[in-house]
Amino acid sequence: MPDQIHPAERLLNLVIALVNTSARMTKEQIRRSVAGYADAPSDDAFERMFERDKDTLRDLGIPVLTVTGAGHGDDIGYRIDQEAYALPPVDLTAAELGVLSLASEFWQDKSVRSDTERALTKLRAVGDAPEASDLVAGLAPRVRAAGGAFGPLLDAVHARQAVRFTYRAASTGEVRERVVEPWKLLARRGGWFLVGHDRDRDAPRSFRLSRIEGKVRTVGSPGAFPEPDAARLGSALHSWTAGEERIATLAIRPERAEALRVRAVRTPATTPDDVDLDDPRVAAVLTERDVVRIPFTALWDLAEEIVGYGDAVVVLAPAPLRATVLRLLRTAAALVTRGADHG
Amino acid sequence: MAERASDRLLRMLGMITYLDRHAGVPVEQVAEQFGVTPAQVIDDVDTLWMTGTPGYFPHDLIDFDAASYEAGVVRLTESRGMTRPLRLGTREAVALVAALRAMEEALGPRLEPARAAVLSSALAKLTAATGEAAATIDVRLAVDGAPEVVEALSAALRDGRRLRLRYVNAADVASTRDVDPIRLVTDDERSYLLAWCLRADDERLFRVDRILRADVLGEAAQPHRVRADAEVFRPDPSGGLVTLHLTSQGRWVAENVPVEAVRNHDDGTFEVDLRIANRAFLRHLLLQAADDILEVRPADAAADVSAVARAALDAYGPLAD
Repeated sequence: MPDQIHPAERLLNLVIALVNTSARMTKEQIRRSVAGYADAPSDDAFERMFERDKDTLRDLGIPVLTVTGAGHGDDIGYRIDQEAYALPPVDLTAAELGVLSLASEFWQDKSVRSDTERALTKLRAVGDAPEASDLVAGLAPRVRAAGGAFGPLLDAVHARQAVRFTYRAASTGEVRERVVEPWKLLARRGGWFLVGHDRDRDAPRSFRLSRIEGKVRTVGSPGAFPEPDAARLGSALHSWTAGEERIATLAIRPERAEALRVRAVRTPATTPDDVDLDDPRVAAVLTERDVVRIPFTALWDLAEEIVGYGDAVVVLAPAPLRATVLRLLRTAAALVTRGADHG
Repeated sequence: MAERASDRLLRMLGMITYLDRHAGVPVEQVAEQFGVTPAQVIDDVDTLWMTGTPGYFPHDLIDFDAASYEAGVVRLTESRGMTRPLRLGTREAVALVAALRAMEEALGPRLEPARAAVLSSALAKLTAATGEAAATIDVRLAVDGAPEVVEALSAALRDGRRLRLRYVNAADVASTRDVDPIRLVTDDERSYLLAWCLRADDERLFRVDRILRADVLGEAAQPHRVRADAEVFRPDPSGGLVTLHLTSQGRWVAENVPVEAVRNHDDGTFEVDLRIANRAFLRHLLLQAADDILEVRPADAAADVSAVARAALDAYGPLAD
């Protein structure tokens, strides 16, 4: 027998003791009778050990309840209510466990990954057999790391507690404190976002997590604001919903921009924007080019993609897409002089 | 690194639950179930054997059948009432459910029905068991590529077969190459195929939206060693250094392109340093970011992109008005 009992063994003895106790155990009883606590060299050391163990168990989802004795106010005891922390009945097949394991690897943040790995350990206990990976062979779905702000924000969303953080606004470059009632965390092309109610602006706002500087701190008490109703949340999320599908008509040089061409539709799914191919101005542009129609939902994304092809791709329609591409090209054409101004 | 006591505790509690439900399980199978070595299982069982309720007399302790343990089979005979599985914490449940939702939404429609069904049933069971339906995390994965391309990639990965790809690179040049597929990576930005390119005899990341065509070949894919973080795009360290001075609205450049350094200025503008080995990549970036660029160093990069932009404007002819 080793002299010191391994902390995991002490914790296990504590859980078993507090689950099996008929009513409760006082701190003194725990110190005297639960294996591992006799190692504590002093009262203070025992107190620290016990408090730390309670925190560890709470983190694992096994809360230690405080039970006050009937007679005296200072007569405090402890127990664990097994029913309160038990997982509802669930049986997982090997294939389902495999999918859950893949879901655990979805996260790149260390802190979130340690949460999902714990969850997986708990679920493995109710799995029929070791996880099967053949169903998800070669698939690697993942989301970019959300950074240090993610955990505190997620806790605040669930606690419905306001948060305060320093934010660098890209629109103005201004760095300022914000107080926000957090509603939801979104990952979209481009990054992680917090959607919530900005108390200073008194309006819904989105914040990019990578633009939060320093720590996120809670403000006030939990339950400080109601869950956002569907209408408010819907309007806050409006800018995130994909627009209607439209058709862009492009004139592409032969054998160029094949990555655009593979998305071409032969018969446009919706009515294409009017473009008169017989218009002499259009006809002039079409010399030595193929007309290709491709569906799109986000105009800005498509404009950024098209601009990368330089003179290989010309936008015929719709007009707003053409205008966006032309504006980017004009600014880029002027880049060479801009450098000189600063130099 | 030594394992955290809390992680070990969790696994030992999980083992009691598991062994209570399965009478007599070989050590190797317990190890596989919990993703640890057989030696660790033996360590854990030996510890469990010494724990129990205060008093710690034989009848107080967690107990196993010693004879079958000698034979390498773990048979639980006394659980001290510790058989209930543990509930998932809020964060644990939310993170797993959000991942499964994103996977079902993005991959479900592109998987064959049997695989899609497993995804759905895992999500349904987890949601029911955790009551986690609030969807406070919402991840949308970027599923790129033509359906028939994605189908061919998934089939080749599932069956371990070689692929012939028609691929167009960042410089808009198409080529055909045979590859052994390794992983189909789908994230919030794009989808990539990590594969071993036989022509380059090296690992390569292929953007799925640039795969024009994919054919599953008859040959089996060979196993290849790849870097653990092979799917993380890294700039070529041999590339030249380019510095962009950007307005605050250009912050997305620093967030979405691998940059070597970011320097914030007091006026809200900032500079980024990039390693550029691929001229086409830089050209595309400068065209996209044109609105937000204050200065490009060295200046010839700006001259190059300006020339490309002027040629493109010329191509519009009368439509540029």
